[in-house]
Amino acid sequence: MSPCRFALALLLLLPAAALAQENPYFVTYDHRMEETGNLEISTQTTIVQQKHNLPTLVAPLMEIEYGWNGWWTSELYLEGSSQMHDTAVFSGWRLENRFRPLLRDHWINPALYFEFEDTNEASQLRKEIVGHAEPVTESLAVLRREKSRELEGKLILSSDVHGWNIAENFIVEKNTTHAEATEFGYAFAISRPLSTVASGNECRLCRENFRAAVEFYGGLGDTEVFGIPHTAQFAAPGVVWQLSPANSVKLSTAFGLTPDSDRLLVRLGYTYEISGFGSKVRRAFSGRD
Amino acid sequence: MQSPRLTALVRSIALFTVLTTSALAQDVPSQVDPSWIAPASAAARTNPLHASALPGGRKIFQHTCITCHGDETHARSNHAPDLASPAVQSEPDGALFWRISQGNARHAMPSFSNLPEAQRWQLVLYIRSMAQPKEAAK
Repeated sequence: MSPCRFALALLLLLPAAALAQENPYFVTYDHRMEETGNLEISTQTTIVQQKHNLPTLVAPLMEIEYGWNGWWTSELYLEGSSQMHDTAVFSGWRLENRFRPLLRDHWINPALYFEFEDTNEASQLRKEIVGHAEPVTESLAVLRREKSRELEGKLILSSDVHGWNIAENFIVEKNTTHAEATEFGYAFAISRPLSTVASGNECRLCRENFRAAVEFYGGLGDTEVFGIPHTAQFAAPGVVWQLSPANSVKLSTAFGLTPDSDRLLVRLGYTYEISGFGSKVRRAFSGRD
Repeated sequence: MQSPRLTALVRSIALFTVLTTSALAQDVPSQVDPSWIAPASAAARTNPLHASALPGGRKIFQHTCITCHGDETHARSNHAPDLASPAVQSEPDGALFWRISQGNARHAMPSFSNLPEAQRWQLVLYIRSMAQPKEAAK
């Protein structure tokens, strides 16, 4: 590709206005797909404060999400981990596809989620909580040597009722690298904007730009020992702030509810949405819409 | 120990994902969809908001709809209908509200049911106002 064409492509990818309509969830998914042709780039950081004087962990994540059409969204995750007084490592990647089988909105809307993970045992993202809780006692430098390829499926159920969103996820995860039991987990969330009516003026601090949420998530054991005992469970209030149509920031603090849970998970995320990305790329390379 | 059969399965799934991603990544152009008609009960609903809520509707439109539907200052996507057109303006308020709420995933129109109901009615107010300058000019 010529330098001119490349520069043109870059220019076309610069910001365009489109409300990201971000929800404040970090773990729970609702039924909403990425808008057709939009590309969303997010960064997230999870700070894990463990119990029993175990070191604090920090897990950064980068997400690239694209809406292929109204019923299909794909997402690529690149993740890392670092541990206080230890090291920082790249802990792997995940590729996820979400499908919406019913095209119209109903009182409850299902979506299906399939993910392939190529990570290592140093992954400390807590992106979903499944199976039984395992505290991190070894160095990340040691853990990173152990590869982990996993398949994950989720049934997502979600409803929008009178300005509220209510979402439930049922999670199944299977490690294909080691002979481990299939693990289960769940996530439940509810959210609402602080104002249901939009004010007429452009403002960053208007109440309608904020959406508050509470998430509950945790493990449900595995095929060998199913149930709540020895699992991590969290309650996580959070908020998203729509800074501008394309930019949003979200924050959540998850409190461990069981003796086997981490004490605290603090999550901070920033999202930038490029609207019409797909058609801009097509125009840049084909010269037509 | 990793099973070769399981490895093959995982690789096949990854390959399938990549291939289908490339092959199916196509927008379906917007066209008249005869199945996308508001039920009579939904179409009969009236807008509960007063015209004073219109500026808020304009703001939501500029944040959520303008990229596809355009307005007097922004070009409209070829795939999206002109909301000032008689075809759209002849729809009752309830039908417009229903279309905004339901979306039409087959034709790239997202559902905006995540917006609170009042904000969707604000959008209907603004869509109605889009036809007014043309009518006034006649």
